[in-house]
Amino acid sequence: MYGRKACQLVKELASAEKGQLTPCNSDLFDQVAAECSQHHLELQSLIRKIQEEGLDVQTTRNADHYGALIHHLSLVRNKRCLVAYVYNRAEIIRSLIWKVGPVLPPEIQEKLNHTEEDYFKKLSTALQAYMSRLDLDLTVDMVPPKDPYIQVRVLDDIGVVLSDDKTTNFARHSMHFLKRTDAEQFISRGLMEELTG
Amino acid sequence: MANYYDIDDIITQEEFVSVIFQKAAGGVGIDPSSETDSVEVGSKVELPFWLAHELQLRQAVSMNVPACFNQKTRLEIQADSACVDLRSRSPYFYEFGCKIAPLVADRTIGPLLLSAFKSRYKEVLTKAHTAAYPAASKHLTILTKEETHLYEAAQSSMAAFKKWRMGGPRFQRASILGRKRKSNE
Repeated sequence: MYGRKACQLVKELASAEKGQLTPCNSDLFDQVAAECSQHHLELQSLIRKIQEEGLDVQTTRNADHYGALIHHLSLVRNKRCLVAYVYNRAEIIRSLIWKVGPVLPPEIQEKLNHTEEDYFKKLSTALQAYMSRLDLDLTVDMVPPKDPYIQVRVLDDIGVVLSDDKTTNFARHSMHFLKRTDAEQFISRGLMEELTG
Repeated sequence: MANYYDIDDIITQEEFVSVIFQKAAGGVGIDPSSETDSVEVGSKVELPFWLAHELQLRQAVSMNVPACFNQKTRLEIQADSACVDLRSRSPYFYEFGCKIAPLVADRTIGPLLLSAFKSRYKEVLTKAHTAAYPAASKHLTILTKEETHLYEAAQSSMAAFKKWRMGGPRFQRASILGRKRKSNE
């Protein structure tokens, strides 16, 4: 049936957990695009047939007209599915910058295709430029702070990090008392956890 | 018209409807029973809703009431709506019903949807707060998409309330990274 593959593509998005990214299925995407071209060809040939019979394309309501209509509708439907697929993925990618920061971990990186990586890079450059113009880091304090300092435990070996004027060694399982804004990016990437008393 | 990019709306429109062609259509391979690639007048074909709807607007087809709103379903809903497996009929039972209702001659679909939703709603919310996990997963398989959302909303709001009362870490690993290391919760 027409439009079935396109719907499969959209269902892939729907079956993913909310806000999670699935690997980009460019194979199926290309197949749907090819289906679109096929509809376009058949649509043209039906229109040509109507014209060859000497009928007016605008007003004729014969079998060929309805055939062409069905091809047209399938084309529009496939387009909607494809655009929705790209759009919804782009929305998730856009949210990544706020949730994970400008550097993507490899397990997410591999789910993006080439143009999506490009999109993410341009987006993060634009955001950086805007923030440096404002002289304000917009990506910190996503949860309203109660205290400027928090206690954290390191979950993974991060190594020696330079923050402000001193270097700290974030060895695995060590505990630190840090400025909230410094810890935030590590927590959202899953490298530290907040300790509560 | 729903949002153009709405995934749920797109999938709802993929539900099949049986239609009867009032006009012939050539050059299309949508009728599996036909040997040539054309559709005769009066042939009965299963079409996805997005196609059937547009063709109906142009009086090319007439739509029948889809199988998921048949007499059997109605009787089951009347008997005990909470136990009817609506998901197997259509995961978008209500949304699809709302789209179909103005297009077919049957005027009883609207009230059917309303009564089914009203009586199942209470059950969904009660189960969301009380059911133990293994029992709940069995119950979940008969809910439609809409009801599953409700169920999850009920559970997550309760969890959020408990978390607010007890306090706890407010910073968390971004959920997009998956559940890999989500341990002591």
